[in-house]
Amino acid sequence: MAVLTAPERTSPAPPPPRGRRARGPRRTPPLVLAFLLVPLLAEAVWVFWPALQGLYLALTNWDGVSAPEFVGLGNFREMAHDEVFRTAAVDTVLWLVLFGGLSALLGLGAALLLQQERRGVGFYRAALFLPVVFSLVATALVWQAIYQPDGVLNQLLESVGLDSLRHAWLADQDTALYAVIVPALWRQVGYVMVLYLAGLKGIDPALYEAAKVDGAGPWQRFRYVTLPQLRGVNAVVLSVIIIDSLRSFDVVWSLTRGGPYHSSELLSTYMYSTAFQSLRLGYGSALAVVIFVLAFGVIASYLVRAFREAD
Amino acid sequence: MTNQHPSRRLLLAGLGAAGTTALLSGCVTASSSGKGSSGGGAVTLQSNLSAPQAKAAMEDLAAAYAKQGSGRASLNTVAAETFRTQLPTYLTSANPPDVLTWYPGSVADAYAKKNLLLDLSDVWASPDLKRYSTALNKLCTAASGKKVFVPTTYYWWGMFYRKSNFAKWGVSEPKSWDDFLDLCDKLKAKGVAPIGLGAGGNTTWVASAWFDYLNIRINGAPYHRELLAGKHRFDDPEVHKVFDRWQEVLPYFDPNGTAVAFQDASTALLNGRSGMMLIGTFFADAVPKNALDDIDFFRFPVIDPKVPLAEEAPTDGYFASARTGRRDKVFDLLRYLATAEAQEIYIKGSSGTALPCHPDAKDSGTPLVKKGRKHIEEAAEITQFFNRDSSDALQPATDTALTKFIAKPKSVGSILTTWQRDAEQIWRA
Repeated sequence: MAVLTAPERTSPAPPPPRGRRARGPRRTPPLVLAFLLVPLLAEAVWVFWPALQGLYLALTNWDGVSAPEFVGLGNFREMAHDEVFRTAAVDTVLWLVLFGGLSALLGLGAALLLQQERRGVGFYRAALFLPVVFSLVATALVWQAIYQPDGVLNQLLESVGLDSLRHAWLADQDTALYAVIVPALWRQVGYVMVLYLAGLKGIDPALYEAAKVDGAGPWQRFRYVTLPQLRGVNAVVLSVIIIDSLRSFDVVWSLTRGGPYHSSELLSTYMYSTAFQSLRLGYGSALAVVIFVLAFGVIASYLVRAFREAD
Repeated sequence: MTNQHPSRRLLLAGLGAAGTTALLSGCVTASSSGKGSSGGGAVTLQSNLSAPQAKAAMEDLAAAYAKQGSGRASLNTVAAETFRTQLPTYLTSANPPDVLTWYPGSVADAYAKKNLLLDLSDVWASPDLKRYSTALNKLCTAASGKKVFVPTTYYWWGMFYRKSNFAKWGVSEPKSWDDFLDLCDKLKAKGVAPIGLGAGGNTTWVASAWFDYLNIRINGAPYHRELLAGKHRFDDPEVHKVFDRWQEVLPYFDPNGTAVAFQDASTALLNGRSGMMLIGTFFADAVPKNALDDIDFFRFPVIDPKVPLAEEAPTDGYFASARTGRRDKVFDLLRYLATAEAQEIYIKGSSGTALPCHPDAKDSGTPLVKKGRKHIEEAAEITQFFNRDSSDALQPATDTALTKFIAKPKSVGSILTTWQRDAEQIWRA
């Protein structure tokens, strides 16, 4: 009997009555609820609502003073025939490829060079990461001094006998965009390097040992071990690069303001100058919508592909 | 029971958020009416005079106003570029600054048409302002007939040079356009860039002075004002004539003219790397005091003697927000700013190259300023400056057109077509 009764005593407690179970979700601690709802409210007020306002403004003509005048898709139709918009879009793609591509390549290169724990490697890592810490506007001011007609770069060229290459780097439409990319790259490479360093640290050394045992050379180890293992980091780097490319503004604005005559114009600088200098806030908002759609579209399509591959 | 507290808090937070949202939406788009600041306290004075000497002079002025006992002004200095882009927001906000530094003429009139400026007719009834010149009176009157601006100082534009450098190079002030071209040739032969510009960096607008002056010398000030008000086209034959003449002097421009800001171009002028520069007296803020006595200027050369002589003499001063809650205090401050005493305090504290608007106020008395006053008095017409006679919104399109012309003078046809198209978009907005 004792044997028979014992399991009854140790059997799991009966399920709670139905009514109590139904009220379960309501027992979410108020603090947790607050942690969810307060940020949601803040986000709604400071992000979602202004974004919706931006969408509405994109459908209006507005000078910032009078009441906005609803024009439907008029701003987007105008954009289709706007040469400056086309220049800015092409420059933005160029920026994405050059700034994005080079920062990924150089960042990965720097990470591979500096991944080994050797003496003094910390100094080099810190030196490469240092520009990330500086404000981009301060960075731009320093580079402005470098690019000045009497600046460091031209003096350097002169001192090594390359006078013919002396140039007004930021005032020439052929060089302005490329001259602006350099400081942006200078800053971005350290950041990408840190992301890749973290990725490299996460690779199991046993994989390299196994590859070595199999007779793989350095290139084959990089091609068949390192790169596949960095796939997760690549997704992060790519997202960061696309977002940073599309929102690149401060360095260009500080150095050239999109000039000379729109030759270094990006969608972001064109949006700013249209909205806040020419006071065409409706058209500026329409440009902002285009930037948002581009950023969202590129990142979403990449992520969807990445998830499909993962499946 | 315990769940009721967070609910109530959440409800309150929700109401707060909804209220904030409504408030924000008001800030973003509406030009809703609001009573704004309360009647008490100091008058808020928003200033764009951020150059060190000018800022210090404004502080002296605020202190002097407080000392005379009728009220107080709380000075808030904002960097000039930020001020310019934020001005529409200041004026349309529910709680605007009471008094703001800015420009009279078409710029002020544009805001007055939107009922954003306080009617200052009562202030203009003061004994001081009654004595101001008819030209200033007209400049500060909006299209509605109301006074909307109190002018305090003005300055002039001219071809500035360094006397000792001209003496060293053995050249003198030109009297005509041909003399001017001769002078450029002589300077070029001496290895000096004859004409400095300073339309790079953040001061691309400086190039507009060349357009303004050539246009008022060739087509006259009335045509210039009408063009800038959208009554003529930028691709008209008259405008083409301006650029034809500009092409004659373009080879004498400093090749770095569109690569450096006017402050750096001023340094090149002082160092003798460039010979002369079309600029306003504000550039003196960057000139060391000991070099100031060595600075001189001449009138932009006359091109067509039949065209009445016009000069650029931008006027500065103050307007007030229509939404101020301190109307009487604002009037008191503006009456004070219009006095000879206040204008002298400002001139004494700043670089001293500005001229006071009050007929009794003393200028700094230097030979340069005396010559500047005579220069303006001899003009049959006065213009302000490109953005002041047109609008701030048109300035970026103008900067693009003019710097492109300087780099690619042969493309003038397409440049003017694009300029006109951009201008139409801005006027339509």
